[in-house]
Amino acid sequence: MAASKTKFVNTVQKPVQDVPSPIASERFVSKAIVAHGVEMVFRSASELYPVLYGIDLEIQQGDIQLLMGPSGSGKTTLLSILAGILTPTAGHVWLLGQEITSMSRDRLSQFRLDNIGFIFQGFNLFPALTAAENVEVALKVKGFKRADARQKALELLDQVKLSDKANQLPRDLSGGQKQRVAIARALAGDPQLIMADEPTASLDSYNGHAVTELLRQLAKESNRTVLIVTHDPRLIDVADRVAYLEDGVLRS
Amino acid sequence: MASIARKNLFEDIPRCLVAQAGIMFAVSLITIQKGILDGFTHSTVRLIEQSTADLWVAHKSMEYLELTSSLSVEQLLKVRGGNGRPGVKGVEYAEALSIHGTRWRAPNGQIENVRIFGFNPDGQLFGHWNMTQGQISSLKTPYTLITDKANISNLGLKQIGETGEISSLPATLVGLSRNTQSMASSPYVYASLESTNAYLFGGLSAKVNCKVVAGDLQCLNEFEADSKTPSKLFDPKPPRRLNLSDPITYILVKAAPGQDIQELRKNLEAALPDTRAYTTQEMVDRTRTYWYERTGVGFILGLGAIVGFVVGIVVVSQILYSSVSDHLKEFGTLKAMGASDWVIYRVITEQALWMAVLGYLPSIILCIGLGAWTVATRGIIILITPATAFGVFGLTVVMCVGSALFAIQKVTHIDPAIVFKA
Repeated sequence: MAASKTKFVNTVQKPVQDVPSPIASERFVSKAIVAHGVEMVFRSASELYPVLYGIDLEIQQGDIQLLMGPSGSGKTTLLSILAGILTPTAGHVWLLGQEITSMSRDRLSQFRLDNIGFIFQGFNLFPALTAAENVEVALKVKGFKRADARQKALELLDQVKLSDKANQLPRDLSGGQKQRVAIARALAGDPQLIMADEPTASLDSYNGHAVTELLRQLAKESNRTVLIVTHDPRLIDVADRVAYLEDGVLRS
Repeated sequence: MASIARKNLFEDIPRCLVAQAGIMFAVSLITIQKGILDGFTHSTVRLIEQSTADLWVAHKSMEYLELTSSLSVEQLLKVRGGNGRPGVKGVEYAEALSIHGTRWRAPNGQIENVRIFGFNPDGQLFGHWNMTQGQISSLKTPYTLITDKANISNLGLKQIGETGEISSLPATLVGLSRNTQSMASSPYVYASLESTNAYLFGGLSAKVNCKVVAGDLQCLNEFEADSKTPSKLFDPKPPRRLNLSDPITYILVKAAPGQDIQELRKNLEAALPDTRAYTTQEMVDRTRTYWYERTGVGFILGLGAIVGFVVGIVVVSQILYSSVSDHLKEFGTLKAMGASDWVIYRVITEQALWMAVLGYLPSIILCIGLGAWTVATRGIIILITPATAFGVFGLTVVMCVGSALFAIQKVTHIDPAIVFKA
């Protein structure tokens, strides 16, 4: 039931209901991530597939929030909505005090560019680019000049302890190293929010632990908010909060 | 972002080479077809372009250089004046050019259709060619000819000094010219007006029978079999001087200094009924148009170029599309990060431009080399002018960037949520 299933190509839009009161809105503004009454229904050719039902979630600035649950529970769909990649069928999302569900597509893209870093299970690195170039690409997209992007990319790789692999292609890196490159890329532009989808799923115990520790450092040393979708119980130790999603419903 | 485009392209070298081979094929096909078309038309008009005449006077029925009705020597003299008669006003001098189809018999007995051009070897308006061997003035010797170097084997000859036969008269090769053959015609041979006239009437004697009808002089050419020389080949009479009624094909005219060409044209057409006077450029255009429009040559070669273009689009589209498909997740990641579609379009377009440049450069070098080889060995011109080279480059860029639209269309519809697929 994940959002990534391509057969579900269109979401069903319905009028937004249950708009929060101004008092509630003020409370949401102070949080890093807030979801209120989020619902998601996918539509195939002739059928409707509800995925999320009335999700309410608040995440404090600087927290590491885990989102766990069985496969098909709607975790990735919720992550996509909270990251501003998918628009919910109903409900509202505030990120860093701004309501993103009412933003235009272009404004939302700019918001993501300015404020969100992404980490993926499959790394999604350009295979033809070196580790440093993969980070540089993200920096250039975020407006860095070529020379500055190179310098900053090396600094970010140093931050994830990969400065010695800067000129290696992804195929010459281990899974853990690739994920650290992806983390360095996610840090490009110093975003306040990090959205991670199964960041340790493809990694062995050692690399999984290294990445987990890195994510903890990111959150605590720079006061970033990290939202992690995972099945990996190793991450529970570093999380400030854990939310469980089951059948599209959030259970604390 | 430049590195993504270039590195994506070179990421898979075999696929890159296949793509470049496809583009090279397309570019070469377009260039060669266009080059042959240009070379073909250039070859059909270069004798005109090499002439220094200001005007070409032709019969009004003239279609192109080699297809026209005859004029007469009398008309030439009318243009020139002399013997107390004034010539056409504004003419500096005028010369005859005679063009006829005839049959050549090589020393080994092989026969070949040829087109013989008769002109004055001492003239100033025709025949200023690059000679690889011999002199144009050698044509003053009776029954001699010059041909293009590219024709020598077609005529069954090996070197100058060898003698073949035209209309049972000897024809000795005394020189070889360069860049004087049309790709569209039988081999051209060049001779003096007198020799050409003798070849035209070979085996026949001509006489003019004139009588006065209602105050006008009316003349009629009469041709009779020549019974005096059973073996003309070994003991030919020298060609006679041209008489008034002998046919010529064009009167080439040089205008007097300061003469207005349009005015001279009117003067000539007024003086010579049933004729038209053309500037050199008009003759070129008329001949070129004939070959482009009245024959299938332009269409066929143009079609070949279009096929090349279509093949190029198909090849480049496939390669770019599959390259984008292979990197869909990475492009999706850029979109998820917030990169605008234009960032991704730029990557794909730049990749297409790299393909265009890398496909074009070796192709154009290959075509230039091929052109040099064909002209040297077969006399076939593949004319690649700077305009053609730039034009084909532009077309290659359009082809590659146009092909990128398919890939761009795919990227436009990427769902950024694709990035969360494992």
